[in-house]
Amino acid sequence: MAAHSAVRAINSQEITEKARRDLLHLLEGVRGKKNLVIEKSLAGTIGLFVKFSTLQEYGVDKVFFLENHNVDASQRNVVFLVRGENAKKARMVAEQIRLVRSESQTDHDFTVIWVPRRTLVSNTILEEHGVLGEANIAELPLHFIPLEHDLLSLELENSFSDLMLRKDPTCVWAAARALMLLQKQYGLFQRILGKGDNAQRLADLLQRMRSEEDVNASSDPNNSTLTSFGLTPSSVVENLIIVDREVDMPTVLSTQLTYEGLLDEVFGVANNQTEVDSSVLGGASAPRPDRNSSPAPTAATKRKIHLDSSDKLYPLLRDNNFATIGPTLNRTARRLQSDQQNIKQSDQSIADLKTFVSKLPAHQAESASLNTHTSLAQEIMKFTQSEIFGRSLEVQQNLLAGADPSTMHDNIEELIARGVPFRAVLRLLCLESCLNNGIRSRDLESFKRQIEQAYGYQHVLTLANLERMGILVPRESHRGYLNPIASTAGSTTTDTNALRRALSLWIDDIAEADPDDIAYTFSGYAPISVRLVQAVLQKSHLHNLANPPKPGAPSSAPSGTGWKGFEDVLSRIRGATVDVTQKGSDADASAARKTLRGSKEGPKTTVVFFLGGVTFAEIAALRFVGQQIGEATGRRLVIGTTSIISGDRAMAVAEEKRKFGE
Amino acid sequence: MSKPTADWERVGDRFYRKTQLYTSVFDPDLEIENYVVTGAPYSGAVAIYRDTSKIYSFRGSQTAKSSIDLYSCAGRLIRQIPWEKGAIRALGWSEDERLLVVTEDGTVRSYVDLQGDFTPFSLGHGSEEHGVQACKFWATGFAALLGDNTVVIVTNYDEPRPHVLAAPPSGEVVSWAVIPPEHTSSRSVEVILAIDKTIYVTDAVECEDRGLEAGPFRHISVSPNGEFIALYTDDGKVWVISSDFQMRFSEYNSKVKTPPRDLQWCGNNAVALAWEDEVHLVGPNGAATEYFYNSFVHLLPDVDGLRVLTNDVCEFVQKVPEASEEVFRLGSTSPGSVLLDAVDQLEKKTPKADDNIQLIRQNLDEAVDVCIRAAGQEYSIHWQKQLLKAASFGKSVLDFYNSDDFVDMTESLRVLNAVRFFEVGLPLSYDQYIRLTPERLVQRLVNRQDYLLALRVSEYLHLPVDRIYVHWARQKVRTSASNEDMICEEIVRKLNGKLGISFEEVAHAAYDEGRGKLATDLLEHEPRAGKQVPLLLRIGEDSVALDKAIESGDTDLVFHVLLSIKRKVPLASFFRTINSRPIATAIVESSAIDQDRELLKDLYYQDDRRVDGSNLLLSEALSASDVGPAADKLKMAAKLLRDSKDHATQVAALEDAQKLLRFQEAFEKDLGERFVGLSVNDTISKLIKMGNMKRSQKVQTEFKVSDKTFWWIRLRALIVRRDWRELEELSKTRKSPIGWEPFFNESLGAGNPKVASLYIPKCTSLTMPERAEMWIKCGMISKAGEEALKAKDRNMLEDLRTKATGNSALDIDRMIAQLQKGR
Repeated sequence: MAAHSAVRAINSQEITEKARRDLLHLLEGVRGKKNLVIEKSLAGTIGLFVKFSTLQEYGVDKVFFLENHNVDASQRNVVFLVRGENAKKARMVAEQIRLVRSESQTDHDFTVIWVPRRTLVSNTILEEHGVLGEANIAELPLHFIPLEHDLLSLELENSFSDLMLRKDPTCVWAAARALMLLQKQYGLFQRILGKGDNAQRLADLLQRMRSEEDVNASSDPNNSTLTSFGLTPSSVVENLIIVDREVDMPTVLSTQLTYEGLLDEVFGVANNQTEVDSSVLGGASAPRPDRNSSPAPTAATKRKIHLDSSDKLYPLLRDNNFATIGPTLNRTARRLQSDQQNIKQSDQSIADLKTFVSKLPAHQAESASLNTHTSLAQEIMKFTQSEIFGRSLEVQQNLLAGADPSTMHDNIEELIARGVPFRAVLRLLCLESCLNNGIRSRDLESFKRQIEQAYGYQHVLTLANLERMGILVPRESHRGYLNPIASTAGSTTTDTNALRRALSLWIDDIAEADPDDIAYTFSGYAPISVRLVQAVLQKSHLHNLANPPKPGAPSSAPSGTGWKGFEDVLSRIRGATVDVTQKGSDADASAARKTLRGSKEGPKTTVVFFLGGVTFAEIAALRFVGQQIGEATGRRLVIGTTSIISGDRAMAVAEEKRKFGE
Repeated sequence: MSKPTADWERVGDRFYRKTQLYTSVFDPDLEIENYVVTGAPYSGAVAIYRDTSKIYSFRGSQTAKSSIDLYSCAGRLIRQIPWEKGAIRALGWSEDERLLVVTEDGTVRSYVDLQGDFTPFSLGHGSEEHGVQACKFWATGFAALLGDNTVVIVTNYDEPRPHVLAAPPSGEVVSWAVIPPEHTSSRSVEVILAIDKTIYVTDAVECEDRGLEAGPFRHISVSPNGEFIALYTDDGKVWVISSDFQMRFSEYNSKVKTPPRDLQWCGNNAVALAWEDEVHLVGPNGAATEYFYNSFVHLLPDVDGLRVLTNDVCEFVQKVPEASEEVFRLGSTSPGSVLLDAVDQLEKKTPKADDNIQLIRQNLDEAVDVCIRAAGQEYSIHWQKQLLKAASFGKSVLDFYNSDDFVDMTESLRVLNAVRFFEVGLPLSYDQYIRLTPERLVQRLVNRQDYLLALRVSEYLHLPVDRIYVHWARQKVRTSASNEDMICEEIVRKLNGKLGISFEEVAHAAYDEGRGKLATDLLEHEPRAGKQVPLLLRIGEDSVALDKAIESGDTDLVFHVLLSIKRKVPLASFFRTINSRPIATAIVESSAIDQDRELLKDLYYQDDRRVDGSNLLLSEALSASDVGPAADKLKMAAKLLRDSKDHATQVAALEDAQKLLRFQEAFEKDLGERFVGLSVNDTISKLIKMGNMKRSQKVQTEFKVSDKTFWWIRLRALIVRRDWRELEELSKTRKSPIGWEPFFNESLGAGNPKVASLYIPKCTSLTMPERAEMWIKCGMISKAGEEALKAKDRNMLEDLRTKATGNSALDIDRMIAQLQKGR
């Protein structure tokens, strides 16, 4: 897969190793045994690169969640591991230090490790609480965490809500810092492309940071080396494509139909892990040695399942359309069975036996994995075969394919009346709004009333949040759909109908088992975000989809780099369009470098960065694109994101979870 | 030229040399024996102050004023720091030449760059009470011994945070020393204390008795690499042991009755004992040599040797480096030595030069290397040249030789000779230079305000020069008397176009001098927006600071500015400041939502954002635990919006919410079940489940729930209740707004095909095969057959025949026959 070859370009292993080293080094710095107090959202992230047993080796006695407020005084050393950007969390740290100090007899040593940096605000807060002098302060520069070889995430779970709902650009800054680190290591990204206002902001920040870097580097007394940073464009990274989540909300709202996407939809995947009822995995899991988690003592317990490329089968399954999962699992089962039978049937020589035994562990791991995934697939199947899922999907696909939204209203109303899960209904309504620049005011009012009645009046707030996020809004008569001639489209609204044609967002006949286009990820719908990436990297493919070439006629596909050939389409999408070419400040040096590289071709990696989160289906689609361009031109794709998002998580951001009288 | 070996002394099997660095160091009147003298590492500055415990001759009130004087090693006064603060207990240096002064009451002043500016901090931990006895310093921190034997350590001067180590037992501490954290296995400081006859080692966790018997130990000293400890026993012996107290390496008997005044390491191989005017150098295995001086000596240990300071000389004692020994040792026949001789011969123009070369032909490259290294170790420029000449000669004979080392060494020597010049007074050895790094050497030059030399060195070694300019500019701002515009102009002219200049630092210096306008002017030239912010805040340019913070994109900075503005100004003007800046508003809102709802209310009120205000009240209503207060909040929320027509629907929703709460309260009273918290639909559903049809219909009409919705709720509630009778009853009604198919599906799903089948005939809008399928689902094959028969679908009948068993099979057969007959 393209994923694996990308390692040579941007080394994700190295990032993991460094994060691990940094953390352990900090823990080592606190002498003796210590209690670790960790922010909940960080716990999973930390778990991605360091095991609990390793932490224990480094003297961690007990681990507490910051949010639980239950730190005890059992150890002299208390280490906090918290994100420093979050004032609320900083306040919690201060309060807990005060609490432990006042309640405990012993003289405690507090250490606060801020992730990824120590902030002025955290200083102020600790000072206000009078604990700044008490605590040793350290920083753990944790930026990108590789979830896979080709997938780097900042794991900022609030990034979506911060950007969309609260309009708080903290994560843009965090992203800029992380990308800056990549640039420091691999050189300047030769070209920064992007779509969306926040993408513009990020690109501006990158430019600004680059100019400030020179000053910083030399005025930092610790930095004694002569930095040549900022001088040379990267020999590894060709493009940075920034996709602002605001630009492509329909994709988030649609139901993902890849295996991994559905796992996320049904069970939720966080930090490469999912939690399922152990009853789902059934008795089949009992006899085999369980490497993932402790055996479940009771039926009702949850079990954690690791989902990453260390699994035998998962890499083969994750990015495929769910419809093809059954056959694949079947094939695997048959193969394993025949392997087993081979050994039973014929009388074997000792040598044969030996080779078989040596393969046994792998064989067992594979069949264990088969078991797990079969159970998971069955559970997903239960979900996808339900009538309600079918109805929602029908509405969704019709909307995506460009059907008149008003024909869908009866269906949606029925779903509301039947009390289907709240988020599913919201997703459909938001999808309609996003695709058509809003819902007709009268219809929207009626939907709002029905929702408030069906799910409770607290959702007045939910609906207000969605409006604030701009994904459930009344259609304004002077713009968009009703008035397509007005050329206001482009800056604030997206002309989806035009896009549908120009970018072939809907593909009617899609071969899910042997796909030839990314639309397989949503069984027909091709995510706008990935189409944008294709507009840069696969111009002719995209062009041919929209205008099938006549046999014999010369191809009129656009060529060139950057957005070339698709400027018109981009102007029909909301938000700013970014296109910056970064040149080294020292032209001679870059020229010399080029000469040194000689005949070798230029850099080939493209980093696609999602500002506000990426869905698993998009990841699958991008991997598909990566594979195609990898085969054709040897280029590679690496995906960066602030977090992993899904429709339900997006809705949860807006959802008011309280009820009256509770 | 004197022989380089002239000042060599043999100690055991090794040579030590004593290099005279400078002469007539101090004013002859200065009674150095009455002063405490400490030197910064890497041949840095020397700080002296009068030891108040000693008697000295009175020379008028002028000299009686106490001060700390900073000298270069050559005796040039760098700075005089007047001192009136109280009894100084210790004076020490960090490796970046930061001077630390510790007073008896535990106050520490840290002077950063040899200037008079300092940052104070306090040791705390009872130091005021018990008093500081003494301090020991290492490269990046120090340990203070208090009167009650508590040891307080500071490991970081940028953010000093004094810690207490595990308490050692009481008793007089005869002598003590520290092992710096970088040299201990635990990576934390260890302090060695000689108490009574034994030695205790204490660290952050525990204090351990090492069980030695030969005490009390008058002196303890830890070697620069932290591996060895030298102890001076009560009976006049020097022991060298490993720092983990496991091995004893050597013992030396000084045979002197008076214990030495000082004991220090000279590099990692020898220990120096100092009496008033006498120094014993003890090498490995107890071998020793003695040096005598005319006046009182002070020992200033360094990483690779020892500086000896008297009133008139400054000398450097070190083990003769291997390269030097190889080249210069009497009778040496090493290739290096032969090569050096060859150059001599060459100058004399004798052919022996070539003979020499031929002699060492095999090891010529090695000889060149040795000569280059030896050149680095020489202080005499003559011998440096001689050695480099030799290297260059040898190099010219070789076919292939990488000259990098040679070039580097000539560069280094040029720099070293420049800074060793007595007016500069930094007598760095080559090893010290390498460890110090050229960058920090430049910093030291800058601290001494030797800007020109610093610039020359930086340019010569291709180092960044911006720090030098900035330091210069700061100094300019501090001291220049000309008017502010001119200063600004001059600084900008000089610094413009230089890469990476931090104007912010210069501006800071200006501000600290009270030159506010100059500071603002200079700040304008700072390229980094973020860096301008703190100073702007201090100057009071709040809104400019906010704009710059926003420009920088760093939300932490924005937040920081907002917090400090909020503290300073009244709320109304705070809101005015933020409401034209959307990002600032967003940050205030998102932080206030967790912490300060009142602020948010005020904000919404001031900005006339009624919907947000109303939503805030609604959110409060949700947080209320009781229905009463919740309803009140809802009322307020609705009232906020009532004036405006645009929000009619929202007002209606809020009023409905109140109404629902009232209904629910009533139901709770009447029916004794929990209703509050349910939605309208759920309330209806619950009422139906409880069999309260009438009330449910009342809710429906009150809230204008559509018939469709109501029917769906009713259907699902009845299914949950398994009220098949009522469902059967419903099937008799004429019309359903949602059609009959849902009834079929839900009943079947609930496992009652019988009731489900009742609805099949009513699904008139469906096609025949669909209906047949429904029958089949209910297991009524013959009914399906009837449908097929009606539609005269032979194929389907055939199909059904295969599924059918028993009676229904017969039925199907009959129907097939009937169909055939009919044809």
